[in-house]
Amino acid sequence: MVNPVLFIVVPLGLAFAIPLLKYISKKIIRFVPALAFLFNLIFALRLIPVVMDHQVHVQIGGFIPPLGINLVAGPVGMLFVVLIALVGFLVSIYAFHPIKEKDEDRYHILYMLQLTGATGVVLTGDIFNLFVFFEILCLASYSLVAYLGNRAGIESAVKYLIQGSLGSGLILIGIGLLYGQFGTLNMADIAGRIHSVQSISVYVPLVLFITGFGVEAALFPLNAWLPDAHSSAPSTISAVLSGIAIEVGLYAVLRVVFTLFGITHMMGLFLLLGVLTLLIGELCAFSQDNIKRMLAFSSIGQIGLLVFAFSLASTLGIAGGFFQLISHTLGKALLFLAAGYMIAHTGSMEIASFQGMGKRMPFTSLAFTIGAFSMVGLPPFMGFPGKFMILKAALHDGQMLTLILLVFILIATVIEGAYFFRVVQVLYFAGEDLPDRERAPVAFSRFVPMFLFTGLIIVLGIYPSLITDLLDASALELLDRPDFIKSIIP
Amino acid sequence: MNFLSEYTYYIGAFSLIIIGLYIILVKKNLMKVIIGFSIFDTGIYLFLIAVGYLREGTAPVFSKPGLDAGKMVDPVPQALVLTAIVIGVAVLALAVILAIKIYAHYGTLNLRKIKEQRW
Repeated sequence: MVNPVLFIVVPLGLAFAIPLLKYISKKIIRFVPALAFLFNLIFALRLIPVVMDHQVHVQIGGFIPPLGINLVAGPVGMLFVVLIALVGFLVSIYAFHPIKEKDEDRYHILYMLQLTGATGVVLTGDIFNLFVFFEILCLASYSLVAYLGNRAGIESAVKYLIQGSLGSGLILIGIGLLYGQFGTLNMADIAGRIHSVQSISVYVPLVLFITGFGVEAALFPLNAWLPDAHSSAPSTISAVLSGIAIEVGLYAVLRVVFTLFGITHMMGLFLLLGVLTLLIGELCAFSQDNIKRMLAFSSIGQIGLLVFAFSLASTLGIAGGFFQLISHTLGKALLFLAAGYMIAHTGSMEIASFQGMGKRMPFTSLAFTIGAFSMVGLPPFMGFPGKFMILKAALHDGQMLTLILLVFILIATVIEGAYFFRVVQVLYFAGEDLPDRERAPVAFSRFVPMFLFTGLIIVLGIYPSLITDLLDASALELLDRPDFIKSIIP
Repeated sequence: MNFLSEYTYYIGAFSLIIIGLYIILVKKNLMKVIIGFSIFDTGIYLFLIAVGYLREGTAPVFSKPGLDAGKMVDPVPQALVLTAIVIGVAVLALAVILAIKIYAHYGTLNLRKIKEQRW
């Protein structure tokens, strides 16, 4: 059994080894991120059967909780670690072919730091440590959005930075308030004592946390930065931002709401917020001509759906939410990579410029189509079981509010279908009369990740039962608070 | 007056936070917004320190005999603030770099004029 701390240490160490490795060979640094995340992927997969049985705790420096910083590798944490490592590995294969000729080393360092931060957020059991890793993730994201150095990138990075650091400041105030009341930073310890104080002094930090993490999670009124940042970043980074960063923000919100505060009686608010985010995202996506902006808005919509699923606060709903989360991560990463490859070929982000791509880049178009179908929720792709599980959970919940909101979710899915089919239609059926241009050249580093993402989407779409055990265990970890607390603070 | 003297640090900290927030939300110039962030951050650091501060407290050194544990200043918030300052410096440095880049691209730091990206 591998020590979970290595999932953080190995990418972090290798990230800072890159400036040294650069002096040995400039080519070697391209393979470092892939190596690090392959390591994480293999050992995280091997650790999963262990954490299904019992949570793995690591006490950093040997201090017993609640004194020291501890890592908690439960089903939820490991689910995210595997997802981050998988996406990190596949996207870093895509980057074997340099994104930009200059400053390649900086790209790889920041990329690894970003995913290290994400891994740290999902593994830590200490609220301040969570903040620190969250800041590593955010800082690396700000810089990567500006990596191309063009007008759009810099402007989006400034917006992202201002909103993101405002959110981080609020989180820090919330941490200060919690520490002032409980004298501890350990999440399980705080969770165990949260009901011992007046509710008003708990709600203030709760609101601060939800606002702060909500900026990164792109909850509705806080997501103005997302379409700009996701559309002006390099395509690989858009894939990671959409597939990992906002999900990790959502994880932080879930951890705070379910585990730390144990608030389950105001879920109606979150249900509404989720559906509102979903509708706004899908409606804005529908009116876009720029493909990357369309995908970015679609991410907002998907986050809304996830918030809805998690707010059902039932085993079925949370398991469905996690399934849809995995489906969104794989699907959106695939879509951004495929779109990025087509953009690199046509030099334009306008959807109209992709006419006839079905002939010129048949494989990429096919990958994009599969990703789009999976996003919409067509069988046999992964989006179908995800949406189906959420639907089932909502019907099982049976409250009037949930059922009314369900109607809006179905409407949003129709809108989603409309704009994705429009792109697919442009890819295959528009511009028949264009002169036959030759096929695009084949780059294997670009095809391998797209192929693997496509394969995973189909396999998990046909056999969702491969991961349902893990999802059920994850849902249980979030819902069974006393057990979580007792396992850390006996 | 007792209230004031007891909560001076909290009042000061939250005043700084509010001033910082005001500057961030209202000012147009990017450099001023960055300065606002600096003030906002300082307010948060002061607040965190105030949480663990004890009037006439001593340093938490347990090896020295004769010191009362009840009169020691809580060292944890200070450790938090050290970490938070490091993060804050990194964010500010990045913000200033981006401000330089913004000026190079747009020839202005007025945030109201920089809006090529919109919904």
